[in-house]
Amino acid sequence: MANIAEQRIKREFKEVVKSEEVAKCHIKVELVDDSYRELRGEIAGPPDTPYEGGNFLLEIKIPETYPFNPPKVKFLTKIWHPNISSVTGAICLDILRDQWAAAMTLRTVLLSLQALLSAAEPDDPQDAVVAKQYKENPKIFQQTARHWTNIFAGGPLREKDLESKVTQLIGMGFDQNKARIALSTYNWNVEQATEYLLS
Amino acid sequence: MTSQLGKAPRQLPVIRACSIPRIEMAEELDFQYDPEKNYDEETLAQQKEIEREIVDTQQLVGERVSFDRLIREYAQEDEIYREKIEHLKNLYSCVRKTRGDGNCFYRAFGFAYLEKLLVDRTDVERFKDVVSKSLKVLVGLGFPQFTIEDFHETFLDIVNKVTNHCTHQELIDTFNDQGLSDYIVVYLRLIVSGHLQQEAEFFANFIEGDRTVKEFCNQEVEPMGKESDHIHLKALTDALGVCIRVEYMDRVDTHTCNHINFPEDSKPTIVLLYRPGHYDILYSNADMILFQRNLPK
Repeated sequence: MANIAEQRIKREFKEVVKSEEVAKCHIKVELVDDSYRELRGEIAGPPDTPYEGGNFLLEIKIPETYPFNPPKVKFLTKIWHPNISSVTGAICLDILRDQWAAAMTLRTVLLSLQALLSAAEPDDPQDAVVAKQYKENPKIFQQTARHWTNIFAGGPLREKDLESKVTQLIGMGFDQNKARIALSTYNWNVEQATEYLLS
Repeated sequence: MTSQLGKAPRQLPVIRACSIPRIEMAEELDFQYDPEKNYDEETLAQQKEIEREIVDTQQLVGERVSFDRLIREYAQEDEIYREKIEHLKNLYSCVRKTRGDGNCFYRAFGFAYLEKLLVDRTDVERFKDVVSKSLKVLVGLGFPQFTIEDFHETFLDIVNKVTNHCTHQELIDTFNDQGLSDYIVVYLRLIVSGHLQQEAEFFANFIEGDRTVKEFCNQEVEPMGKESDHIHLKALTDALGVCIRVEYMDRVDTHTCNHINFPEDSKPTIVLLYRPGHYDILYSNADMILFQRNLPK
Protein backbone atom coordinates (compact mmCIF):
# COMPACT_ATOMS: atom_id res chain seq x y z
CA MET A 1 0.00 0.00 0.00
CA ALA A 2 1.26 3.42 -0.89
CA ASN A 3 2.85 5.11 2.07
CA ILE A 4 0.73 8.25 1.87
CA ALA A 5 -2.50 6.28 2.05
CA GLU A 6 -1.36 4.20 5.00
CA GLN A 7 -0.05 7.12 7.06
CA ARG A 8 -3.19 9.04 6.41
CA ILE A 9 -5.54 6.20 7.39
CA LYS A 10 -3.60 5.58 10.59
CA ARG A 11 -4.06 9.20 11.59
CA GLU A 12 -7.71 9.21 10.60
CA PHE A 13 -8.38 6.04 12.47
CA LYS A 14 -7.18 7.74 15.64
CA GLU A 15 -9.27 10.79 14.82
CA VAL A 16 -12.50 8.82 14.45
CA VAL A 17 -11.84 6.64 17.46
CA LYS A 18 -11.53 9.63 19.77
CA SER A 19 -14.26 11.77 18.16
CA GLU A 20 -17.31 12.74 20.17
CA GLU A 21 -19.63 10.89 17.80
CA VAL A 22 -17.89 7.67 18.74
CA ALA A 23 -18.22 8.55 22.39
CA LYS A 24 -21.96 8.91 21.84
CA CYS A 25 -22.07 5.62 19.88
CA HIS A 26 -23.22 7.35 16.70
CA ILE A 27 -20.39 6.12 14.50
CA LYS A 28 -17.63 3.58 14.83
CA VAL A 29 -14.75 2.29 12.77
CA GLU A 30 -12.64 -0.85 13.25
CA LEU A 31 -9.73 -2.53 11.54
CA VAL A 32 -10.48 -5.76 9.72
CA ASP A 33 -6.82 -6.83 9.77
CA ASP A 34 -3.48 -5.06 10.21
CA SER A 35 -3.26 -3.77 6.67
CA TYR A 36 -5.35 -0.59 7.01
CA ARG A 37 -6.63 -1.36 3.51
CA GLU A 38 -9.97 -2.56 4.72
CA LEU A 39 -12.00 -1.18 7.57
CA ARG A 40 -15.36 -1.92 9.09
CA GLY A 41 -17.59 1.06 9.75
CA GLU A 42 -20.78 1.30 11.72
CA ILE A 43 -23.40 4.03 11.89
CA ALA A 44 -26.46 4.37 14.08
CA GLY A 45 -29.77 5.01 12.34
CA PRO A 46 -30.65 8.67 12.94
CA PRO A 47 -33.55 9.59 15.24
CA ASP A 48 -36.96 10.32 13.71
CA THR A 49 -36.26 8.12 10.70
CA PRO A 50 -37.34 4.53 10.00
CA TYR A 51 -33.71 3.58 10.64
CA GLU A 52 -33.78 4.77 14.26
CA GLY A 53 -32.44 2.23 16.71
CA GLY A 54 -30.72 0.19 13.99
CA ASN A 55 -26.97 -0.30 13.60
CA PHE A 56 -25.67 -0.44 10.06
CA LEU A 57 -22.37 -2.10 9.18
CA LEU A 58 -20.27 -0.76 6.32
CA GLU A 59 -17.46 -2.23 4.28
CA ILE A 60 -14.76 0.41 3.73
CA LYS A 61 -11.95 -0.28 1.27
CA ILE A 62 -9.06 2.15 0.99
CA PRO A 63 -7.60 2.55 -2.52
CA GLU A 64 -3.85 2.93 -3.00
CA THR A 65 -4.41 6.45 -4.25
CA TYR A 66 -6.17 7.52 -1.04
CA PRO A 67 -6.76 10.35 -0.06
CA PHE A 68 -6.75 11.63 -3.64
CA ASN A 69 -9.50 9.15 -4.47
CA PRO A 70 -12.43 8.31 -2.20
CA PRO A 71 -12.70 5.18 -0.07
CA LYS A 72 -14.96 2.47 -1.53
CA VAL A 73 -17.89 2.07 0.82
CA LYS A 74 -20.94 -0.16 0.79
CA PHE A 75 -23.56 -1.30 3.27
CA LEU A 76 -23.10 -4.81 4.64
CA THR A 77 -26.33 -4.58 6.60
CA LYS A 78 -29.34 -4.83 4.34
CA ILE A 79 -31.24 -1.56 4.17
CA TRP A 80 -34.33 -0.17 2.37
CA HIS A 81 -33.35 3.29 1.16
CA PRO A 82 -33.66 5.03 -2.27
CA ASN A 83 -29.93 5.80 -2.51
CA ILE A 84 -28.66 2.41 -1.37
CA SER A 85 -29.08 -0.81 -3.34
CA SER A 86 -31.33 -3.23 -1.44
CA VAL A 87 -29.52 -6.02 -3.29
CA THR A 88 -25.81 -5.13 -3.16
CA GLY A 89 -25.54 -2.37 -0.55
CA ALA A 90 -23.94 -0.06 -3.15
CA ILE A 91 -24.30 3.59 -2.22
CA CYS A 92 -25.12 6.56 -4.41
CA LEU A 93 -23.50 9.53 -2.71
CA ASP A 94 -21.65 12.37 -4.41
CA ILE A 95 -18.69 12.48 -2.02
CA LEU A 96 -17.99 8.79 -2.61
CA ARG A 97 -17.85 9.47 -6.34
CA ASP A 98 -16.87 12.64 -8.14
CA GLN A 99 -17.17 15.06 -5.24
CA TRP A 100 -14.66 13.49 -2.93
CA ALA A 101 -12.02 15.94 -1.72
CA ALA A 102 -8.70 14.93 -0.21
CA ALA A 103 -9.36 17.06 2.86
CA MET A 104 -12.30 14.83 3.81
CA THR A 105 -11.92 11.96 6.22
CA LEU A 106 -13.55 8.68 7.20
CA ARG A 107 -15.39 10.63 9.84
CA THR A 108 -16.80 12.96 7.15
CA VAL A 109 -17.91 9.91 5.17
CA LEU A 110 -19.65 8.21 8.09
CA LEU A 111 -21.43 11.42 9.12
CA SER A 112 -22.48 12.08 5.52
CA LEU A 113 -23.93 8.57 5.27
CA GLN A 114 -25.83 9.15 8.45
CA ALA A 115 -27.12 12.39 6.96
CA LEU A 116 -28.14 10.48 3.82
CA LEU A 117 -30.29 8.17 5.99
CA SER A 118 -32.06 11.28 7.33
CA ALA A 119 -32.53 12.91 3.95
CA ALA A 120 -32.97 10.59 0.98
CA GLU A 121 -32.62 11.91 -2.57
CA PRO A 122 -35.23 9.90 -4.48
CA ASP A 123 -34.58 11.84 -7.69
CA ASP A 124 -31.05 10.45 -7.87
CA PRO A 125 -31.72 6.87 -6.87
CA GLN A 126 -29.41 3.91 -6.52
CA ASP A 127 -32.33 1.55 -6.08
CA ALA A 128 -35.06 2.52 -8.53
CA VAL A 129 -37.67 0.23 -6.92
CA VAL A 130 -37.20 1.76 -3.48
CA ALA A 131 -37.14 5.28 -4.89
CA LYS A 132 -40.43 4.72 -6.71
CA GLN A 133 -42.07 3.49 -3.53
CA TYR A 134 -40.58 6.40 -1.55
CA LYS A 135 -42.21 8.86 -3.93
CA GLU A 136 -45.50 7.09 -4.66
CA ASN A 137 -46.27 5.30 -1.38
CA PRO A 138 -44.42 7.15 1.35
CA LYS A 139 -46.33 5.40 4.14
CA ILE A 140 -45.54 1.93 2.82
CA PHE A 141 -41.95 3.03 2.31
CA GLN A 142 -41.66 4.05 5.97
CA GLN A 143 -43.11 0.74 7.15
CA THR A 144 -40.88 -1.29 4.85
CA ALA A 145 -37.75 0.59 5.87
CA ARG A 146 -38.65 0.14 9.54
CA HIS A 147 -39.30 -3.56 9.00
CA TRP A 148 -35.91 -4.02 7.32
CA THR A 149 -34.25 -2.06 10.14
CA ASN A 150 -35.93 -4.36 12.66
CA ILE A 151 -35.00 -7.56 10.82
CA PHE A 152 -31.46 -6.76 9.64
CA ALA A 153 -30.14 -3.91 11.79
CA GLY A 154 -31.54 -4.78 15.19
CA GLY A 155 -34.06 -1.93 15.24
CA PRO A 156 -36.60 -2.14 18.08
CA LEU A 157 -39.80 -1.44 16.16
CA ARG A 158 -41.67 -4.43 14.75
CA GLU A 159 -44.06 -4.16 11.82
CA LYS A 160 -46.35 -7.06 12.74
CA ASP A 161 -48.61 -6.76 9.67
CA LEU A 162 -45.63 -7.04 7.39
CA GLU A 163 -44.12 -9.88 9.40
CA SER A 164 -47.31 -11.92 9.10
CA LYS A 165 -47.30 -11.47 5.34
CA VAL A 166 -43.73 -12.76 5.20
CA THR A 167 -44.78 -15.71 7.39
CA GLN A 168 -47.71 -16.34 5.06
CA LEU A 169 -45.40 -16.67 2.06
CA ILE A 170 -42.91 -18.81 4.01
CA GLY A 171 -45.89 -21.07 4.76
CA MET A 172 -46.39 -21.41 1.03
CA GLY A 173 -42.85 -22.72 0.76
CA PHE A 174 -40.96 -19.60 -0.33
CA ASP A 175 -37.55 -18.59 0.95
CA GLN A 176 -37.80 -15.98 3.71
CA ASN A 177 -35.54 -13.37 2.13
CA LYS A 178 -36.96 -13.79 -1.35
CA ALA A 179 -40.45 -13.45 0.10
CA ARG A 180 -39.46 -10.26 1.94
CA ILE A 181 -37.90 -8.73 -1.15
CA ALA A 182 -40.90 -9.64 -3.33
CA LEU A 183 -43.35 -8.21 -0.80
CA SER A 184 -41.29 -5.05 -0.32
CA THR A 185 -41.05 -4.59 -4.07
CA TYR A 186 -44.80 -5.07 -4.64
CA ASN A 187 -45.88 -2.73 -1.84
CA TRP A 188 -46.83 -5.73 0.36
CA ASN A 189 -49.49 -6.96 -2.05
CA VAL A 190 -49.39 -10.70 -1.32
CA GLU A 191 -50.99 -11.70 -4.62
CA GLN A 192 -48.55 -9.75 -6.78
CA ALA A 193 -45.58 -10.88 -4.69
CA THR A 194 -46.64 -14.52 -5.03
CA GLU A 195 -47.12 -14.15 -8.76
CA TYR A 196 -43.64 -12.64 -9.04
CA LEU A 197 -42.09 -15.43 -6.96
CA LEU A 198 -43.73 -18.05 -9.13
CA SER A 199 -42.69 -16.49 -12.43
CA MET B 1 -30.12 14.99 14.07
CA THR B 2 -27.69 17.90 14.24
CA SER B 3 -28.28 18.44 17.91
CA GLN B 4 -27.74 14.74 18.59
CA LEU B 5 -24.41 14.87 16.84
CA GLY B 6 -23.24 17.73 19.01
CA LYS B 7 -20.89 19.86 17.00
CA ALA B 8 -21.72 18.86 13.45
CA PRO B 9 -18.73 19.75 11.29
CA ARG B 10 -19.45 22.67 8.99
CA GLN B 11 -17.38 20.95 6.38
CA LEU B 12 -20.05 18.27 6.05
CA PRO B 13 -20.84 18.44 2.36
CA VAL B 14 -24.24 19.13 0.95
CA ILE B 15 -25.84 15.77 0.33
CA ARG B 16 -26.42 15.07 -3.30
CA ALA B 17 -26.77 11.60 -4.60
CA CYS B 18 -25.66 10.66 -8.10
CA SER B 19 -27.81 9.81 -11.01
CA ILE B 20 -28.56 6.66 -12.92
CA PRO B 21 -31.11 6.27 -15.69
CA ARG B 22 -34.58 7.07 -14.40
CA ILE B 23 -37.31 4.47 -14.64
CA GLU B 24 -39.66 6.61 -16.69
CA MET B 25 -36.95 7.33 -19.18
CA ALA B 26 -35.85 3.74 -19.10
CA GLU B 27 -39.26 2.51 -20.20
CA GLU B 28 -39.34 4.93 -23.08
CA LEU B 29 -36.03 3.71 -24.37
CA ASP B 30 -37.00 0.09 -23.87
CA PHE B 31 -34.15 -0.10 -21.39
CA GLN B 32 -34.20 -2.89 -18.83
CA TYR B 33 -33.06 -1.50 -15.53
CA ASP B 34 -31.04 -4.12 -13.73
CA PRO B 35 -30.86 -3.34 -10.00
CA GLU B 36 -27.85 -5.61 -9.58
CA LYS B 37 -25.86 -3.60 -12.04
CA ASN B 38 -24.14 -0.44 -10.98
CA TYR B 39 -24.32 2.01 -13.83
CA ASP B 40 -22.13 4.56 -12.12
CA GLU B 41 -19.41 1.96 -11.73
CA GLU B 42 -19.55 1.31 -15.45
CA THR B 43 -19.08 4.96 -16.33
CA LEU B 44 -16.36 5.22 -13.73
CA ALA B 45 -14.54 2.24 -15.24
CA GLN B 46 -14.55 3.91 -18.65
CA GLN B 47 -13.22 7.10 -17.11
CA LYS B 48 -10.48 5.15 -15.33
CA GLU B 49 -9.41 3.63 -18.64
CA ILE B 50 -9.00 7.08 -20.22
CA GLU B 51 -7.12 8.28 -17.14
CA ARG B 52 -4.73 5.33 -17.35
CA GLU B 53 -3.97 6.16 -20.94
CA ILE B 54 -3.13 9.75 -20.02
CA VAL B 55 -0.90 8.60 -17.14
CA ASP B 56 1.00 6.31 -19.51
CA THR B 57 1.64 8.98 -22.11
CA GLN B 58 1.99 12.33 -20.33
CA GLN B 59 4.36 13.39 -17.56
CA LEU B 60 2.82 15.39 -14.72
CA VAL B 61 5.25 18.18 -15.56
CA GLY B 62 7.11 17.53 -18.80
CA GLU B 63 10.23 18.84 -20.49
CA ARG B 64 10.34 22.20 -22.23
CA VAL B 65 9.48 21.88 -25.90
CA SER B 66 9.86 24.21 -28.84
CA PHE B 67 6.94 25.77 -30.70
CA ASP B 68 7.99 23.84 -33.77
CA ARG B 69 7.21 20.67 -31.89
CA LEU B 70 3.94 22.07 -30.63
CA ILE B 71 2.90 22.96 -34.16
CA ARG B 72 3.24 19.32 -35.20
CA GLU B 73 0.28 18.46 -32.95
CA TYR B 74 -1.96 20.28 -35.39
CA ALA B 75 -2.95 19.30 -38.87
CA GLN B 76 -1.43 21.20 -41.79
CA GLU B 77 -4.82 22.63 -42.68
CA ASP B 78 -5.51 23.82 -39.13
CA GLU B 79 -4.61 27.38 -40.03
CA ILE B 80 -6.09 29.13 -37.05
CA TYR B 81 -3.93 27.21 -34.56
CA ARG B 82 -0.82 27.26 -36.73
CA GLU B 83 -1.08 31.00 -37.11
CA LYS B 84 -1.53 31.47 -33.40
CA ILE B 85 1.48 29.32 -32.59
CA GLU B 86 3.55 31.41 -35.00
CA HIS B 87 2.38 34.46 -33.12
CA LEU B 88 3.37 32.94 -29.76
CA LYS B 89 6.76 32.06 -31.22
CA ASN B 90 7.46 35.77 -31.61
CA LEU B 91 6.66 36.45 -27.97
CA TYR B 92 7.93 33.36 -26.16
CA SER B 93 10.85 30.99 -26.25
CA CYS B 94 9.27 27.62 -25.43
CA VAL B 95 6.47 25.66 -23.69
CA ARG B 96 6.48 23.19 -20.81
CA LYS B 97 3.60 20.76 -20.99
CA THR B 98 1.66 19.37 -18.06
CA ARG B 99 -0.53 16.29 -17.81
CA GLY B 100 -4.13 16.79 -18.92
CA ASP B 101 -5.72 15.35 -15.79
CA GLY B 102 -7.96 18.25 -14.80
CA ASN B 103 -5.35 19.45 -12.30
CA CYS B 104 -3.15 21.09 -14.93
CA PHE B 105 -3.87 24.67 -13.91
CA TYR B 106 -2.78 24.07 -10.30
CA ARG B 107 0.25 22.02 -11.31
CA ALA B 108 1.32 24.47 -14.02
CA PHE B 109 0.85 27.42 -11.68
CA GLY B 110 2.63 25.72 -8.76
CA PHE B 111 5.56 24.55 -10.82
CA ALA B 112 6.04 27.76 -12.81
CA TYR B 113 5.86 29.93 -9.72
CA LEU B 114 8.21 27.84 -7.56
CA GLU B 115 10.59 27.51 -10.50
CA LYS B 116 10.61 31.30 -10.71
CA LEU B 117 11.39 31.53 -6.98
CA LEU B 118 14.48 29.41 -7.63
CA VAL B 119 15.97 32.22 -9.73
CA ASP B 120 14.28 35.33 -8.40
CA ARG B 121 14.02 35.59 -4.64
CA THR B 122 12.31 38.97 -4.34
CA ASP B 123 8.92 37.42 -3.53
CA VAL B 124 10.12 34.65 -1.20
CA GLU B 125 9.38 36.14 2.23
CA ARG B 126 6.03 37.58 1.23
CA PHE B 127 4.90 34.29 -0.30
CA LYS B 128 5.95 32.24 2.72
CA ASP B 129 4.05 34.63 4.94
CA VAL B 130 0.88 34.29 2.85
CA VAL B 131 1.14 30.49 2.84
CA SER B 132 1.66 30.40 6.62
CA LYS B 133 -1.42 32.51 7.21
CA SER B 134 -3.58 30.42 4.88
CA LEU B 135 -3.72 27.58 7.39
CA LYS B 136 -5.76 29.57 9.88
CA VAL B 137 -8.23 30.66 7.21
CA LEU B 138 -8.88 27.08 6.13
CA VAL B 139 -9.21 25.66 9.62
CA GLY B 140 -11.60 28.52 10.37
CA LEU B 141 -13.79 27.43 7.45
CA GLY B 142 -14.42 24.12 9.19
CA PHE B 143 -12.19 21.70 7.29
CA PRO B 144 -10.88 18.85 9.48
CA GLN B 145 -7.82 20.38 11.11
CA PHE B 146 -5.45 17.48 10.84
CA THR B 147 -5.93 16.87 7.12
CA ILE B 148 -5.52 20.59 6.43
CA GLU B 149 -2.37 20.69 8.54
CA ASP B 150 -0.98 17.72 6.68
CA PHE B 151 -1.43 19.38 3.28
CA HIS B 152 -0.24 22.71 4.61
CA GLU B 153 2.96 21.28 6.10
CA THR B 154 3.85 19.32 2.97
CA PHE B 155 3.26 22.38 0.82
CA LEU B 156 5.36 24.55 3.11
CA ASP B 157 8.15 21.91 3.12
CA ILE B 158 8.29 22.10 -0.65
CA VAL B 159 8.34 25.91 -0.61
CA ASN B 160 11.18 25.78 1.94
CA LYS B 161 13.08 23.30 -0.19
CA VAL B 162 12.88 25.77 -3.07
CA THR B 163 13.92 28.75 -0.99
CA ASN B 164 16.84 26.74 0.41
CA HIS B 165 18.14 26.46 -3.16
CA CYS B 166 17.21 22.95 -4.18
CA THR B 167 18.28 22.10 -7.72
CA HIS B 168 16.06 22.57 -10.74
CA GLN B 169 15.99 18.81 -11.20
CA GLU B 170 14.83 18.31 -7.60
CA LEU B 171 11.88 20.61 -8.24
CA ILE B 172 11.03 18.75 -11.45
CA ASP B 173 11.25 15.43 -9.59
CA THR B 174 9.03 16.70 -6.78
CA PHE B 175 6.35 17.70 -9.28
CA ASN B 176 6.59 14.34 -11.02
CA ASP B 177 6.23 12.38 -7.78
CA GLN B 178 2.52 11.65 -7.95
CA GLY B 179 1.96 11.82 -4.18
CA LEU B 180 3.88 15.04 -3.48
CA SER B 181 2.61 16.63 -6.67
CA ASP B 182 -0.99 15.86 -5.71
CA TYR B 183 -0.39 17.27 -2.22
CA ILE B 184 0.55 20.56 -3.88
CA VAL B 185 -2.55 20.44 -6.08
CA VAL B 186 -4.79 19.72 -3.09
CA TYR B 187 -3.39 22.61 -1.08
CA LEU B 188 -3.78 25.06 -3.96
CA ARG B 189 -7.36 23.84 -4.43
CA LEU B 190 -8.01 24.43 -0.74
CA ILE B 191 -6.60 27.95 -1.00
CA VAL B 192 -8.98 28.66 -3.89
CA SER B 193 -11.91 27.23 -1.94
CA GLY B 194 -10.94 29.21 1.16
CA HIS B 195 -10.67 32.46 -0.77
CA LEU B 196 -13.96 31.96 -2.63
CA GLN B 197 -15.75 31.27 0.63
CA GLN B 198 -14.13 34.21 2.38
CA GLU B 199 -15.20 36.51 -0.43
CA ALA B 200 -18.46 34.67 -1.06
CA GLU B 201 -20.53 37.82 -1.45
CA PHE B 202 -18.41 38.98 -4.39
CA PHE B 203 -17.89 35.60 -6.08
CA ALA B 204 -21.56 34.56 -5.78
CA ASN B 205 -22.21 36.83 -8.79
CA PHE B 206 -19.98 34.72 -11.01
CA ILE B 207 -21.28 31.28 -10.19
CA GLU B 208 -23.42 29.63 -12.82
CA GLY B 209 -26.40 27.50 -11.96
CA ASP B 210 -28.47 27.59 -8.83
CA ARG B 211 -25.83 26.93 -6.22
CA THR B 212 -24.08 28.65 -3.36
CA VAL B 213 -20.39 29.49 -3.28
CA LYS B 214 -19.88 26.66 -0.80
CA GLU B 215 -21.66 24.17 -3.06
CA PHE B 216 -19.55 25.39 -5.97
CA CYS B 217 -16.39 24.81 -3.90
CA ASN B 218 -17.55 21.31 -2.91
CA GLN B 219 -18.36 20.44 -6.52
CA GLU B 220 -15.89 22.33 -8.72
CA VAL B 221 -12.89 23.28 -6.60
CA GLU B 222 -12.05 20.78 -3.87
CA PRO B 223 -12.34 17.47 -5.76
CA MET B 224 -9.22 16.43 -7.68
CA GLY B 225 -9.49 16.56 -11.43
CA LYS B 226 -12.07 19.35 -11.63
CA GLU B 227 -11.02 21.81 -14.30
CA SER B 228 -10.33 25.47 -13.66
CA ASP B 229 -12.03 28.52 -15.07
CA HIS B 230 -11.61 32.28 -14.68
CA ILE B 231 -13.10 32.21 -11.21
CA HIS B 232 -10.51 29.67 -9.98
CA LEU B 233 -7.67 31.68 -11.55
CA LYS B 234 -8.90 34.89 -10.03
CA ALA B 235 -9.29 33.34 -6.59
CA LEU B 236 -5.84 31.70 -6.54
CA THR B 237 -3.96 34.75 -7.81
CA ASP B 238 -5.86 37.04 -5.40
CA ALA B 239 -5.33 34.75 -2.43
CA LEU B 240 -1.61 34.27 -3.03
CA GLY B 241 -0.90 37.74 -4.41
CA VAL B 242 0.84 36.22 -7.44
CA CYS B 243 0.33 37.85 -10.85
CA ILE B 244 -0.02 35.62 -13.90
CA ARG B 245 -0.77 36.05 -17.58
CA VAL B 246 -2.76 33.53 -19.57
CA GLU B 247 -2.43 33.37 -23.36
CA TYR B 248 -5.69 32.02 -24.74
CA MET B 249 -5.30 29.91 -27.84
CA ASP B 250 -8.74 28.92 -29.08
CA ARG B 251 -10.58 28.47 -32.36
CA VAL B 252 -11.73 32.07 -32.51
CA ASP B 253 -10.50 33.40 -35.84
CA THR B 254 -8.33 36.28 -34.62
CA HIS B 255 -4.84 35.45 -35.99
CA THR B 256 -3.25 36.09 -32.58
CA CYS B 257 -3.82 34.77 -29.07
CA ASN B 258 -5.63 36.99 -26.62
CA HIS B 259 -4.15 37.32 -23.20
CA ILE B 260 -5.57 38.16 -19.81
CA ASN B 261 -3.61 39.19 -16.74
CA PHE B 262 -4.74 38.15 -13.28
CA PRO B 263 -5.14 40.67 -11.65
CA GLU B 264 -5.94 42.80 -14.69
CA ASP B 265 -3.51 45.69 -14.29
CA SER B 266 -0.61 43.63 -12.93
CA LYS B 267 2.83 42.77 -14.24
CA PRO B 268 2.81 38.97 -14.54
CA THR B 269 5.46 36.79 -12.89
CA ILE B 270 4.56 33.68 -14.87
CA VAL B 271 2.70 32.97 -18.10
CA LEU B 272 0.42 30.04 -18.83
CA LEU B 273 -0.84 28.87 -22.20
CA TYR B 274 -4.50 27.93 -22.34
CA ARG B 275 -5.87 25.66 -25.00
CA PRO B 276 -9.51 24.57 -24.54
CA GLY B 277 -9.56 22.46 -21.37
CA HIS B 278 -5.84 22.62 -20.67
CA TYR B 279 -3.05 24.78 -19.25
CA ASP B 280 0.69 24.56 -20.01
CA ILE B 281 3.57 26.88 -19.07
CA LEU B 282 5.11 29.50 -21.39
CA TYR B 283 8.65 30.88 -21.09
CA SER B 284 9.84 34.18 -22.55
CA ASN B 285 13.37 34.78 -23.80
CA ALA B 286 13.98 36.89 -20.70
CA ASP B 287 12.91 33.93 -18.52
CA MET B 288 15.33 31.65 -20.32
CA ILE B 289 18.22 34.06 -19.80
CA LEU B 290 17.33 34.36 -16.12
CA PHE B 291 17.26 30.56 -15.73
CA GLN B 292 20.60 30.18 -17.50
CA ARG B 293 22.26 32.74 -15.25
CA ASN B 294 20.69 31.98 -11.89
CA LEU B 295 19.55 28.36 -11.69
CA PRO B 296 21.25 26.48 -8.85
CA LYS B 297 23.23 23.68 -10.42
